[in-house]
Amino acid sequence: MRMYLMFTMKAFSNQLAYRSEVWLRLLGNFVTILIQVEIWRAVIGNGSVAGIKAEQMITYSIINTLLFALLLNGVSSKVDGSLKSGGIASELIKPLSYPLYLLFDGLGNSLYQLAFTAAPSLLIAGLFFGILPPATLTHFFAFLLALILALIISFLLGYLISLLAFWFMNHFALSWMMGGLITIFSGSFLPIWFFPPSWASVAKMLPFQYMGYVPAAIYLGNITETELWQVFAMGVGWIVGLLVLVQWLWTRAVRRLVVQGG
Amino acid sequence: MDIISVNDITKTYRQYRRFPGLIGSVRSLFTREYIEETAVRNLSFSIKEGEAVGYLGPNGAGKSTMIKMMTGILVPTVGELRVLGSVPHQARKDNSRQIGVVFGQRSQLWWDLPVKDSFDLHKYIYKIPPITFEKNLEFCVELLAIKDFIQKPVRQLSLGQRMRVEIAMALLHEPKILFLDEPTIGLDVIAKDQIRQFLRTVNRDKRVTIVLTTHDMKDIEEICPRMIVVNKGSVVYDGSVVELRNRLGNERQVVIDFREEPGLIDMPGITLLQEEGLRRTYSFAKSDASVFDLVSRIAAKYPVEDASIESADIDSVIRRLYQQLAEADLKRQIG
Repeated sequence: MRMYLMFTMKAFSNQLAYRSEVWLRLLGNFVTILIQVEIWRAVIGNGSVAGIKAEQMITYSIINTLLFALLLNGVSSKVDGSLKSGGIASELIKPLSYPLYLLFDGLGNSLYQLAFTAAPSLLIAGLFFGILPPATLTHFFAFLLALILALIISFLLGYLISLLAFWFMNHFALSWMMGGLITIFSGSFLPIWFFPPSWASVAKMLPFQYMGYVPAAIYLGNITETELWQVFAMGVGWIVGLLVLVQWLWTRAVRRLVVQGG
Repeated sequence: MDIISVNDITKTYRQYRRFPGLIGSVRSLFTREYIEETAVRNLSFSIKEGEAVGYLGPNGAGKSTMIKMMTGILVPTVGELRVLGSVPHQARKDNSRQIGVVFGQRSQLWWDLPVKDSFDLHKYIYKIPPITFEKNLEFCVELLAIKDFIQKPVRQLSLGQRMRVEIAMALLHEPKILFLDEPTIGLDVIAKDQIRQFLRTVNRDKRVTIVLTTHDMKDIEEICPRMIVVNKGSVVYDGSVVELRNRLGNERQVVIDFREEPGLIDMPGITLLQEEGLRRTYSFAKSDASVFDLVSRIAAKYPVEDASIESADIDSVIRRLYQQLAEADLKRQIG
């Protein structure tokens, strides 16, 4: 465990080398939030749509924008890089679990994003646009738990893509497709409660909602305490399912492994 | 006991067929045709504990693939492979604690960190007890002369320095087997010597089994009593270096300087290799008459100024072996 935490620390400190990026990210977050705020203010105005007020949507947008920076989908581009450079050989000769190594390495990046972009962005957005407090204390703790689910599910989906890349030798198209699915079905831009009923029921069956809609809706209290159990049970179900899938894919993928460049 | 046993191993890579040109690349999108490339073909050998084995062959002979299968990175397509009693890719994590791997063309160090930090990370990853770690570190640092640059970041090291660090790191967890894939590639003579000496010490004194691929025959001569030569994925020679030299190196080269143009020299058992003014290089079959006899017979008949006898070096022995293999291939293709 200690050794995996070291990879987290290592990834964190590696990111420090790209400090100038922080300002750009802060600006990017601000602009993204600003656009969404303006859209929702224009759409909802002073009243409410489907029982949702503009302030709620602003908080929803802030949470989703900042959460996006913490997700671990990026794992697929890391694996892709290792596959293309052949560096995967050096990773596989170490006595480590490859997925755990990737997970903890990714967590280091997320931690960095949390400290240097998400937290300051939250402060800025709070000052400029205002952010609602969590619905109840229970909802706040459930929100924290939902963040953990979001990280795990995003990691598993990213890892799944990187394993599929063993067959295609390129993850770009797959990541692109995954990006599309996430943008739509995570509800990060358009919350699932605004979806037409048939699409909403599809979105609520998929794992993507845990990477956007679920944490934000919990925070706002739009998921009731009784529904929470159901949502979490399904999230854990998805994690178990994805775990089984990636384990199985790994045993197949490793046979296809080609180490580039001798 | 065999520490490595390779039994009829084959590894094929499947590659979808590509068609040249722009239209071809569109066509490649729809094809399901693929080419099976065999990197390793029905390979068998075994290595005992404490051996030092040179694994060599021309480029593309499947050496790296074999090393990667033995280290558990790649999975053989067919056949049985056991390293330290287990199947490498299945027991990858357990085996990796007991083997050390050095890839000459691929660094395992942390690029931005000082050398010492890379060593410390290694200590955690391999869960090396502090006393063992300190002891091994001291041993490697001293014999490989790493002390001067142990605080420098890896990216600032010269290739020779980096290679020494790579080898040191591969040994910190006291592996039973050390795999080296072209460890001396691109190094200068002094760095090569240092590494060879060190590896010999590690093999003789610490009883670490060594499997080494290289293109530098001196590596083999100085470190490995045994060599396995592969070509096109199959073993073509497995035995001692001395034996191979006897088998293929039973020719001697003689350089003769003549006083004046001798004309055609007709003598059984000699072949002209090179002609350079009055200097001729001949190869002599070592069979019946001794080389010395032949030279003196030439000297009696022709105006010889000077002659020197050279034994074929291991490089030319290997060159001859590869040439024979290439010729055999050509014959097979024609016939």
